Amino acid sequence: MARKRRDRAGPFEYSRKLSLRISFLLASIFLYAPIIVLIVFSFNNSRRGGNVIWKGFTTKYYGKAFNNDSLIEAFTNTLAIAFISTIFAVLLGAMTAVVLWRFRFPFKPVFEGMVAMPIVIPEICMGVSLAVFFSSFGLYVPPESPFPLNLTNIILAHITFSFPFAAMIIRTRLSNFNREMEEAAKDLGATEFQVFRDILIPHMKPGLIAGALLAFTLSLDDFVITFFTSGPNTVTFPVKVYSMVRFSVTPEINAASTILILITLLVTALAMRFQSFEEGDK
Amino acid sequence: MSEKPIISVRNITKRFGSFTALEDISFDIRPGEIFALLGPSGCGKSTLLRIIAGLETATEGDVIIGGQDMTDVPANKRPVNMVFQSYAVFPHMTVAQNVAYGLKLERMPKAEIATKVEEALEQVHLAEFSHRMPDQLSGGQRQRVALARALVKRPRVLLLDEPLSALDAKLRDAMRLELVHLQESVGVSFVMVTHDQSEAMAMADRIAVLKDGKLRQLDSPTSLYLNPCDQFVADFIGRINMFDVTSHSRSGDKVILQTAILDPVTLPASALPDSHETLALAVRPERVKISTKRPAKGTCVHGQLGDVAFQGDSSIVEIVLPDGGAITALASEAQAAKLMKLEMGSEICAYWQPEDMLLLPANAT
Repeated sequence: MARKRRDRAGPFEYSRKLSLRISFLLASIFLYAPIIVLIVFSFNNSRRGGNVIWKGFTTKYYGKAFNNDSLIEAFTNTLAIAFISTIFAVLLGAMTAVVLWRFRFPFKPVFEGMVAMPIVIPEICMGVSLAVFFSSFGLYVPPESPFPLNLTNIILAHITFSFPFAAMIIRTRLSNFNREMEEAAKDLGATEFQVFRDILIPHMKPGLIAGALLAFTLSLDDFVITFFTSGPNTVTFPVKVYSMVRFSVTPEINAASTILILITLLVTALAMRFQSFEEGDK
Repeated sequence: MSEKPIISVRNITKRFGSFTALEDISFDIRPGEIFALLGPSGCGKSTLLRIIAGLETATEGDVIIGGQDMTDVPANKRPVNMVFQSYAVFPHMTVAQNVAYGLKLERMPKAEIATKVEEALEQVHLAEFSHRMPDQLSGGQRQRVALARALVKRPRVLLLDEPLSALDAKLRDAMRLELVHLQESVGVSFVMVTHDQSEAMAMADRIAVLKDGKLRQLDSPTSLYLNPCDQFVADFIGRINMFDVTSHSRSGDKVILQTAILDPVTLPASALPDSHETLALAVRPERVKISTKRPAKGTCVHGQLGDVAFQGDSSIVEIVLPDGGAITALASEAQAAKLMKLEMGSEICAYWQPEDMLLLPANAT
């Protein structure tokens, strides 16, 4: 009599192997539990040691965070830096991507490597080098300058580390551009500039948007490089949180962090949507 | 030829490094004709088309369009337009915007653009699709957009790069006819690149056969078929049976040719091509008749009946020769039915009239 045989689970059938299911669960807990704890305790009605004992639900720390002027100022700074540095990062990134995609020139691999350098070198080194660079070249912008100008040093620093990411994304988008499209436009009478404006930029658009959103989130939560380039009057949100944590972790910090997490998630989700849109069409 | 050529290609040579893609090519394109550049892949036909369009520059030689030397004129200023192999329809523009793009670049008034676009879309039967985006269209419809987009510019010549290669078989046949009708209605010359000889034969008024960057023969489809200039052209255009000539001798105004398989063939000496280091005899399958008995007249080979490939109105019959080679014959429906009754491998005789044979210079290999 034929024995009834059950298919054995394949090595990567996560849904059918208990051991894999358990490890998946453990990994998820390890990754997300701290974030969940942070969010949960932002609603904890306890002034000190807020992240240990649950003392009831409250939203008052959100109100407190919003009334903390220095925290709000840091938050505004962070958004302004992210916004301005993103614009420049995308512009520079797009130009770099077009050069790398379009032209062949001597030492191109070296140039490509140099563009990617800020992605690979440790942030702490970049932070130190930028701080040294700004002070030794006297490029230090006085902190009493009017609002966005006082952030110039931080903005410059953020552009340097975020534009390579934008360049990479836009370059990827360009690599699946059909050159016949460009030739067709020329054949119809377009000049080089008209081809760029009417054909190439629309093609790059999903890459430009995805690159911008990535640059924005990178700038939003950068701590290390900002720490080395900020002054006493140019505190950003991550730097501010760090200084507050040094005394004690109050639910107020939890609340502010929760808001930042939400903003980052939102922007990342948008970035991913544009990325998938980009992969969706040819 | 009385009419002035619309395009003159003069001594075009194109080299990529040490590789010669095109070698000293010259021909004229007449107004209002469909001209096909035909050749196997890698023969340089697409490069030649791109040189005419101005997308590629020739190493040597000139392109003259409408009497003007266009050699140094960039693609965007030439009075020719092209339909690309991938169609290259702009994905971020609607059908109407695609067609309007070339006119917009000319700074034509908006109202005029609108009417011209409408006319052009009408011409390719896409009028009701004008507001669609290209990704909502089928391959055939995208090609029509590309056609309308090029024709709306009123080019002196329309260039088509493998216009039918991306379509499925059924659509391809329909599009062949439609392109010919379109050409008749707009009246501009079409220059098309193709590797498909049947496509070129069916559509073109004249065909230039290219091989390894050289122009082998330029003629009408009928002349190419009936009088191919060499073994390559004969083989490339349609089906043909070839016999290598082992030796030949002249006697008076006759030439006697020896082959490994056939009895000695006697042809008039005028059939001898000018340059003939090695020769080949060729006969088209439709000239080959089949019989179970040896015929009284004509050139004849004995062989065994091989495969019979049914094609509907006719069948392709394979006759396996004693030396292992095979020749093909085209049999009518009735004849094929008779042959089907014979067993495969039966002794049969294929024969034809000596004057149906072509004497060709063999490929110098």
